[in-house]
Amino acid sequence: MADNKDKPFFVGYLTAPDGLRSFLIGIGIGLILLMAGVGLGIGATQDDPGNGAFRGDYGRQTVTGVMELTPYPVVRVTQGSEHVPEGHTLMLSAGGKQSLMSRVRDLDGQLVTVSGTILDRGELDMMQVRGGQNGISRAEGDAPEMDSEDLGRWRIAGEICDGKCLAGAMRPGTGIAHKACANLCLIGDIPPVFVSTQPVEGSEFLLVVGPDGTIFPKSAYDLVAAYISVEGKVVRHGDLLVFHLEPDTAELVQ
Amino acid sequence: MSVKYIPVQWNPNKWIYDGIMLAGVAAFLWVFIHVTPEILSHERPINSQVHNARAFGACAFLMLSIILAIGPLAKLDTRFMPLLYNRRHFGVMTAFVATAHAGYILNWYFAFSFVPKWDALILSNTNYGQLLGFPFEALGAFALVILLILAATSHDFWLKFLTAPVWKRLHYLIYLAYVSVVAHISLGILQDQQSLFLPVFFIVTAFLVALLHVWAYLAERKTGDPLASAEGDWMRVCQADEIDEGRARIALLPDGKRVAVFKHEGKLSAISNACAHQNGPLGEGRIIDCLVTCPWHGFQYRVTDGQSPAPFTEKIPTYNLRVQDGAVLVDPKANPPGTHVDPVEVA
Amino acid sequence: MMAAGLVIFAEYWLMVGAVVALFFLTIGIDRIDEDARGAYIFRPLLVPGVLLIWPMVLWRWYALETGRADEAKRYKAVRGAYGFVAIGMAIAIGVIIATGLSIKQTWPAHIAPELLSEAGQ
Repeated sequence: MADNKDKPFFVGYLTAPDGLRSFLIGIGIGLILLMAGVGLGIGATQDDPGNGAFRGDYGRQTVTGVMELTPYPVVRVTQGSEHVPEGHTLMLSAGGKQSLMSRVRDLDGQLVTVSGTILDRGELDMMQVRGGQNGISRAEGDAPEMDSEDLGRWRIAGEICDGKCLAGAMRPGTGIAHKACANLCLIGDIPPVFVSTQPVEGSEFLLVVGPDGTIFPKSAYDLVAAYISVEGKVVRHGDLLVFHLEPDTAELVQ
Repeated sequence: MSVKYIPVQWNPNKWIYDGIMLAGVAAFLWVFIHVTPEILSHERPINSQVHNARAFGACAFLMLSIILAIGPLAKLDTRFMPLLYNRRHFGVMTAFVATAHAGYILNWYFAFSFVPKWDALILSNTNYGQLLGFPFEALGAFALVILLILAATSHDFWLKFLTAPVWKRLHYLIYLAYVSVVAHISLGILQDQQSLFLPVFFIVTAFLVALLHVWAYLAERKTGDPLASAEGDWMRVCQADEIDEGRARIALLPDGKRVAVFKHEGKLSAISNACAHQNGPLGEGRIIDCLVTCPWHGFQYRVTDGQSPAPFTEKIPTYNLRVQDGAVLVDPKANPPGTHVDPVEVA
Repeated sequence: MMAAGLVIFAEYWLMVGAVVALFFLTIGIDRIDEDARGAYIFRPLLVPGVLLIWPMVLWRWYALETGRADEAKRYKAVRGAYGFVAIGMAIAIGVIIATGLSIKQTWPAHIAPELLSEAGQ
């Protein structure tokens, strides 16, 4: 081993020998400085998590509109609020990563009033509705007919996210490190959202459903958070595009 | 070296060691958690849970890397030996920091669901067949379990109970844990990170740790303990005049054990090279106050019978030896621990 | 199912560990280690270890009780494996980091959406 013939010999329970003391003091100070420096370096160079947020500052928003089950519930707003314009198509979620499906099952095509907190990130927004009747209730009056427009089949590139974390429930709410959380959100029927590299017919964010208009298929979970290109039908519901994602056509982007 | 076990055998050096270590950890976490949010110019801040998780995770990685560097550094330069002395406390602290990292992640990314957290951890991502999007959390959890096992078995009781070789083998799992952590980072945050500091720091650190170990291994092979050569039924260790007063020569015996031949007051004695405590290399130690002193933790033995002085009870095997034509010959059959052997005059 | 099964397995593992800890730290430890006799304050420190590696605890307890433990093995230091570990770890770290870097994606901003077929076709 290293030739230690003339080196000072350290015994743990005795005072360190003179020859070692300055070396050890240097190591000790160096260690503390190293740790502080690395903490600074890593902490201060974290990537921007985006500007999504819960908009508590908006206060509670209550809007009326027609419920559509895509199957993920969206409201085609007929009577807006301060921060939700009329004519907007608003995605909905329950609190946390809970499913809203059981509460909206019988409301497809009905006129409803929904109330809750808005999350937004640029063009993307979503409402986290309150619990029980306070969150979703039938509204008086007849629901107007809402049309949707088939925009054809597309191949688009980007990332599948859970719409809620993406919109600001979490910062960061995208990417590989967040993937398990995104999956867990999707298991809880949070609307999945495709972030397209470039706008599709003016929209960068598309609500994702299964190829036959089902909920997000099990086979697509492994695609979440990766950068992929994938095909599917795009349907316009007001100002929201719904992407009927076909998992079999997905390719990882190199 | 106590007769009765106590939770921690404190001494001034351990206080200093732990003080410096804790100051380093505190400095890292304080700077990361409280200073860097002021520096980051994001429109909206990173969630504090994620910010904290990153702080503790990065700190645990750095601590683990430092811990793994201590061994090879001490092999290459004995001045680093004092860092080895209380390394177990460093390890236990690392297990705590890593647990905090896991706690922040579990209570954030795996919370708020109808699926219980622990179930969510296992079932939410099952993409084991693909590297991109691989459930890297499992790699971190695996490493954490190892860190917890090692921390939980770090008391000296476990060394004596399991025996030092079994304990050492168990604690070799630290290397597996490190590899697992490297994979956890490589398949996790490294995939997302756009800025360069973290990837560069991570890659340089991991390679440095790997390099140090390979370097120490090669150095050990080059200058390592020689194989004793057979002289009839006895084994030749070295020439008697090669041994300095108060020091030893080590040789590897055919059964895989090592013998250390010490010269004390001009006479030779042969004892097991493996310290009873942690199998530290006694032959690389010195005789202090007439006692062979282990370079790792300072355990002491009488050179003539391999027994620790009262009140201590540790014992190591001794070997019969003789000097023939200036060569030190050792009977490769060890005497039972604590057997007295008369020291041999150098002819 | 798998997930719940694993979690239940872990719970049972720790529960058995707790039972082993109870008996080992009150009865066993005094029988097999004279240094532990009369020393009690350090015993709670051993609980986490027993919870995690209780099969090893039972094995050693059994070996020491029955005199099967080979005490001579205590003095055969584990050093032969170091080369394997050092080189193995270095190779693993190299391969893992290279793999991680090779699969790392960059945001494919250059790929434009492509209309494959108009509606109704």
